[in-house]
Amino acid sequence: MKNIKIFLSVALAVISTVAFAQPEISPERKQAIDSLALEKVKDLGKYISIIGNKETPFSEANRVIERALELFAPGSQMGVSSLNRKEIKYYGIREYLQRLMALNYDRVNIEWFNVQYISDLVRQPDGRYVGVITIYQRFVGESDDGLKYVDTTKKDITVYVERKQTQIHGRLIGFWDVLLGDIRVTETKPG
Amino acid sequence: MRNFHHLTIFIFIAFASVGIFSCKSQKKLAAEQAAAAEARKIAKAKADLEELLSDNSGLSLDEKEQRLKTIKDMNIQDDEVQQLIVKVEEKLKRERDALAAKERAERLAREREEQLRREGGPKGLGDYFNLIANSPNLATANRYIDEALGLFASDDVPVLIIISKSGGTVDYDRPTTIRKYLEYLKDQKINRNKIENVIYDANGKITELELIKK
Amino acid sequence: MKTAGAVIVLQLLFFSAFAQDIGKHLGDENFMYAETKQINQFFRRFNSEEDLEGKRIYENDPHYHNKEYRAKYIRMLFDNENPDISNQVKEEFIRDVTDDAHPEFLDYYGGRWFAEVDAKFNYKGESRTVVLFLELEKEDLGIKWVINNVYFYPFSKMFFADSSAMHKFLHPMSHEIDFMNLIKVFREPNTVEYYFNEDFRPDFKTLFLYEVKQGDLVFETIQNVTFHFFQIKDWYFQLKEFNRPGYNTGWLISNISKIPEDQKGMLLKYIYYEN
Repeated sequence: MKNIKIFLSVALAVISTVAFAQPEISPERKQAIDSLALEKVKDLGKYISIIGNKETPFSEANRVIERALELFAPGSQMGVSSLNRKEIKYYGIREYLQRLMALNYDRVNIEWFNVQYISDLVRQPDGRYVGVITIYQRFVGESDDGLKYVDTTKKDITVYVERKQTQIHGRLIGFWDVLLGDIRVTETKPG
Repeated sequence: MRNFHHLTIFIFIAFASVGIFSCKSQKKLAAEQAAAAEARKIAKAKADLEELLSDNSGLSLDEKEQRLKTIKDMNIQDDEVQQLIVKVEEKLKRERDALAAKERAERLAREREEQLRREGGPKGLGDYFNLIANSPNLATANRYIDEALGLFASDDVPVLIIISKSGGTVDYDRPTTIRKYLEYLKDQKINRNKIENVIYDANGKITELELIKK
Repeated sequence: MKTAGAVIVLQLLFFSAFAQDIGKHLGDENFMYAETKQINQFFRRFNSEEDLEGKRIYENDPHYHNKEYRAKYIRMLFDNENPDISNQVKEEFIRDVTDDAHPEFLDYYGGRWFAEVDAKFNYKGESRTVVLFLELEKEDLGIKWVINNVYFYPFSKMFFADSSAMHKFLHPMSHEIDFMNLIKVFREPNTVEYYFNEDFRPDFKTLFLYEVKQGDLVFETIQNVTFHFFQIKDWYFQLKEFNRPGYNTGWLISNISKIPEDQKGMLLKYIYYEN
């Protein structure tokens, strides 16, 4: 009896390994999905610059906040830690963006470093894929009175990828729904 | 022996005299030839310069300037030539200035035309995408968005964006609407996609738009 | 252009024995290339499954699982500032995992690696650290992290703390008196566990869940994350994230030891605070 059990569990393990090893998406398609996910991350960066810029009219900033939120899965959070405080401080994405709008720098410049890292996409139990894109940014906020805030952060951004279908004018369209999730923000020491 | 000597001396003198005589005549000849050449050169230069002044040369401004330079390089010491050179120089400078002014005017006209085409003339959807993404300010971007929306049956016309075509499978991004897409161009200030397919209704309005990653 | 430059830098790091000295003269973007940015990247570098730019390489690529590349990558994956990790240990480890006959690779799906997470909870009005152990578990077509063990110091102080009570028992004729002597057992709550069966071990997972559900333990934040790897035969190593200047940064091996397979159970118990 015990032997049968062991055999069964080994057999099951093999089956599940096979299921994992199945190449469901070709490398070319994977690359396109990776690029799409990275594009969403860059779109977010642009939205953040607009929201943080004092010259952006209030109504426009609010519209952009809504557009930025559309990039995220519901309930996503920012988890921020600094060099001085290692513990993670949590912000809802909306809260984070609204704080950014209220910062009132005269100029906000978000500089992207050329380095980015895209993890494998791993399948979750619900069938969606999840990955993490790592990027680095330098945030410079300047006020006309000469105040300047600068930091360099590593951002590890969760990306959910889901194959979905929709009807458009009677035609079935298969698309990749790419949504951003929780973002881990770590202040780094450059150089 | 003495006779022989005389003879030798005589011959020597005779030869020497011949030598002296012939030297003298060659120099003279050369001088005459040089003078003639110089005269010809001056004459030619004058003729050329006069032609350059006369506007009958049929040469381009560049060629005229090149010809003037050639004449100047000959360094002819002749007052008349020098005066002509000054005159031609002044004339060519006037021509050069006029040409530059003409080119500037033409460029401006082209730009005005371009501007007019951009602002006034009928614009395609692709033009609007670029104009919105490259708008210098919000007001301009919003104006283009309103204009572009006029090409569509409604603000909610679906926009599909192809991210890859691999092995017969077409992968799309999440579908959006034309208003959201135009606002996306305004916000992101970059036009990453080109038009793949457009579907119109009976009124010539767009009812579906398919784009593809550039 | 910037990318190309940084890749050259990484190549220098990769091939130079004096990487640290070279690094000091370069711009601030390059450290980001060198940094092992994700656990995912640790796996791929360990196995030589990505190029120097961090782009995934596949089986037909000559560098894929390449022995020489792996040796060079793995040398970059140790915390160089830890004097306890000797060059001798590093080289022995590299020799073992790049062995021609039996090379060893890290497998994300392979089990035998797990996370130790120090999380801050509010426990009855006070900030306390709860240690959560998480491992990957397959479910349906996917995989997920699950909490499979918990350590909480106040719990450990709660049991078998009073060794003077070690020899307490209910006498063997208690049944004849309707166990009326149980009153004495429960009069001293601190030593009740000594009256339990010999195999009894308090289950911190259940205790923890009980306290959470009672509202006595409330999550505050994450303090620290460590990974433990038991996947490589006869080796154990630990991964921590180093956020510091220089090129030897990110997720690096912070601790390593050669340990026979049959002793790994003991080490695991030690990590789980079970001994």
